[in-house]
Amino acid sequence: MSLANKMNENKLLIDVGSTYFKLCTKDNVQQHFRDFNKDIFDDLTYKCGEIIKNYDKENIHICSSANGGLSTLIIGVTNSFSLKYATNIAFNSGINIIDTVLFRDIEKTSIPSDLIDVVIVVGGIDSVSNIFDERLFKFLDGLNYSNIVYVGSENDSAFLKENINNLVVLPNIINEKLHVEEENLKEYLTNLYQADIMGKEDIKHLYDITSNQIFSTPYIVNKTLPMIDSKFKVADPYILIDIGGATTDIHYSKDLVEENMVTENEYDRLVFKKLGVYKSKESLIFAAKNNEFVYELLSHLKVTEHIFDESSEKATRVLMQLAIFLVLCKVSAYRQAYVNLKLNALNSVVFTGGITKVLKQEEIEDIVTFFYKKILNSQHNPTIVMDTNYDVWTLGMLEK
Amino acid sequence: MSLLQEERNIILNNEYVDNFDFAEVEEFVKNASKDLFISYNFKTKNKMLVQPRGGFPTYDKMFALYEFFDKANVDVLPCTIDSNTRLNDYATAKKMLRLSEENEVDMLNGYPLINHGYRTSRKMMTHFNKPISLRHGTPDARLLIETAIASGIFEIEGGPITYLLPYSKNFPLDKAFLYWKYVERVCAEYSKLNEPINRESFGPLTATLVPPCITIVIQLLEMLLSLEEGVKSFSVSFSQTGSMNQDIVMGAVIRKLAKYYSEQIGVTDADIHLVYHQWMGAFPMDQNYASQLINMSTVIASMVGANKIITKTKQEASGIPTKEANAETVANTQYTLRILNGLPNIVDEQEEEILTAEVMAIMEAVFNDPADTLWRKVFNSIKNGTIDVPFSPHIINNNEMITVRDKNKNIRIIKRGKVPIPNRCFEYEKNQCDLNKDTTSIVNDIIHDIGIMQ
Repeated sequence: MSLANKMNENKLLIDVGSTYFKLCTKDNVQQHFRDFNKDIFDDLTYKCGEIIKNYDKENIHICSSANGGLSTLIIGVTNSFSLKYATNIAFNSGINIIDTVLFRDIEKTSIPSDLIDVVIVVGGIDSVSNIFDERLFKFLDGLNYSNIVYVGSENDSAFLKENINNLVVLPNIINEKLHVEEENLKEYLTNLYQADIMGKEDIKHLYDITSNQIFSTPYIVNKTLPMIDSKFKVADPYILIDIGGATTDIHYSKDLVEENMVTENEYDRLVFKKLGVYKSKESLIFAAKNNEFVYELLSHLKVTEHIFDESSEKATRVLMQLAIFLVLCKVSAYRQAYVNLKLNALNSVVFTGGITKVLKQEEIEDIVTFFYKKILNSQHNPTIVMDTNYDVWTLGMLEK
Repeated sequence: MSLLQEERNIILNNEYVDNFDFAEVEEFVKNASKDLFISYNFKTKNKMLVQPRGGFPTYDKMFALYEFFDKANVDVLPCTIDSNTRLNDYATAKKMLRLSEENEVDMLNGYPLINHGYRTSRKMMTHFNKPISLRHGTPDARLLIETAIASGIFEIEGGPITYLLPYSKNFPLDKAFLYWKYVERVCAEYSKLNEPINRESFGPLTATLVPPCITIVIQLLEMLLSLEEGVKSFSVSFSQTGSMNQDIVMGAVIRKLAKYYSEQIGVTDADIHLVYHQWMGAFPMDQNYASQLINMSTVIASMVGANKIITKTKQEASGIPTKEANAETVANTQYTLRILNGLPNIVDEQEEEILTAEVMAIMEAVFNDPADTLWRKVFNSIKNGTIDVPFSPHIINNNEMITVRDKNKNIRIIKRGKVPIPNRCFEYEKNQCDLNKDTTSIVNDIIHDIGIMQ
């Protein structure tokens, strides 16, 4: 069913972002810049109360990325299976900050000082035993975390449950064929996200206006991707880049990676937590200064590095262009990372997020062309699609 | 503009495509000689069509190959695509093509059609006025088939299952279905202009102890996926199993059920053909034995009543066959077909009944999947093991089914995994085999069965 038809059902869709509120009714999509001196609920009801009061709680659907998302630490046995699978599930569940520890190196790993929302312990297929030992408990003793879940070999679950307080045990995410079983952990993480919202003072009141579960925005965006051609002229394989105020998300068609796993998703997600143009501006500039090609890019854009010190509309535009370039670098073969996408096979790149409000189509095309020429030595030119209405998320809101 | 046309515009806006002219290509297909369409040849030539395999990187070598085939009285010319193009790596194919042209050494194992482009390739593909078959193995063949049809190649082999499960480890199967849907739609569009473009499924799969019921189910499903998009000419296929009786039974059942299931989805105006592949497994090193094996395959193809036979060469075990070896096989196969007269009509009712029941049970399970589209029903059925291809390297394949040969060399299922063949059929299959051996002996039997023709 198309969005238009669904919206005839008199639904109101709200996306609470780190910089904007976005409201979608059957008539239009509105955006409101947030007032950071107010709490989210007050700000939203002050700006959009007139609209919201026209809808019943069950007809209001909200997604949010405003609580910053959850952070997770994954402790696994191998990079190829347990860490890779758990990381994939976490990303696709909308988790934003992910660190991993390989169990064999756990004694050499420094214990993070930040509060971790959820620790995921994983490893082995169900027929394997005695994977984890005292070293795990010692590491966890020094760690500051809110939740812990075990999704590894069934044979070790009793032993871990005895030794770890409040451990949640879920079915193994690795089956006997070494395939990933994602559903239980995914559900657990999306529910944790909801619980996190409930615990955050400034947004928990959102449940005063909706009786539906609030999902994380990236989780919703990922759900929209199989339907995207009903809205834009795109051809698979494509990537969707969501450059926001705090993070940059990239959703990619799975045939762009060599090492696939069999999951329910057609598209996987990856997030760069320090690549945003508003809240993460400093780290974006830091990343840019460490990229050997950025100075050529600045010269191509006819600006100097002094642009980093400016606060102007032009500086914001340059920062956004840098973000595009850096994210493409991070997922290309130029940098060995969690995934390297086969960017030469790309047919389309969809851009969404605050960036589409600021940059023109040709400014983005210019950067993408520069990237292909400079980094990949290629004339390849994927089609650039702009979500100028900033409403791609609405496609997935009713498809959960 | 339709969604399909929008997608086509994006696909063909590729740095390796030199200004694709839709209107010109449409005009070309509309006015192309009917002899270039294998669908027309099936209707008008009262014989089994003979098609070899073969592809070389450079234009000149490919042309020379076609000249050899033409002299050998070939019915259908092959256009085998190189591995880089199969993986959509046109940049490497371009480099290797240049090296091949400069050094007189073949740096590619086939013809890089995208890099040659349709304007150049069309001169060669139309020169001999014979149908040409595209042989590739590409999960994402969208750009390739556009270029092929624009070049004058009016038969497209492959499918989302048969070009994925035997060839790929982890290309996403759901994407393959969607990409092949595009292929079917484009073939259906062009089919309205002249004779139909023929689609041919790749029946051999892994060519390693694949039981007939699995081969037939996959053939039927790819046929249905093609017909539902409007394709009007389709070839189901399978390769020599190693048992003449089983081949003849397979031929009878696949014909009967192809007709039955196409009618089930309301398609009565499509032509369905049967293609037989000469032995696709490990070949004997001894070239005399290889020639005997090829000859035997030709005899079986006649017994099966195939509409087309795809040949092998006596050099199969030792690398990429020369054009001379390929042409020799074509000439020999044509000769054998000419002298095969008065073949007996063999019917094995019990085997046919068992195989029909197995295929229909699996098909029913696929149709009963709750998904809303046929492709997704099939996708789910592969994912959950309802369809299981022995020895497939793909991560989505269940790999629980185990097959061996019985004393008459028929492929039998001794472990069915999650494939829902009826119990009585499963018991029948197992009863044909000696399963009182220890596990090591059965494994050794399987290894022997894989190399049975060596």
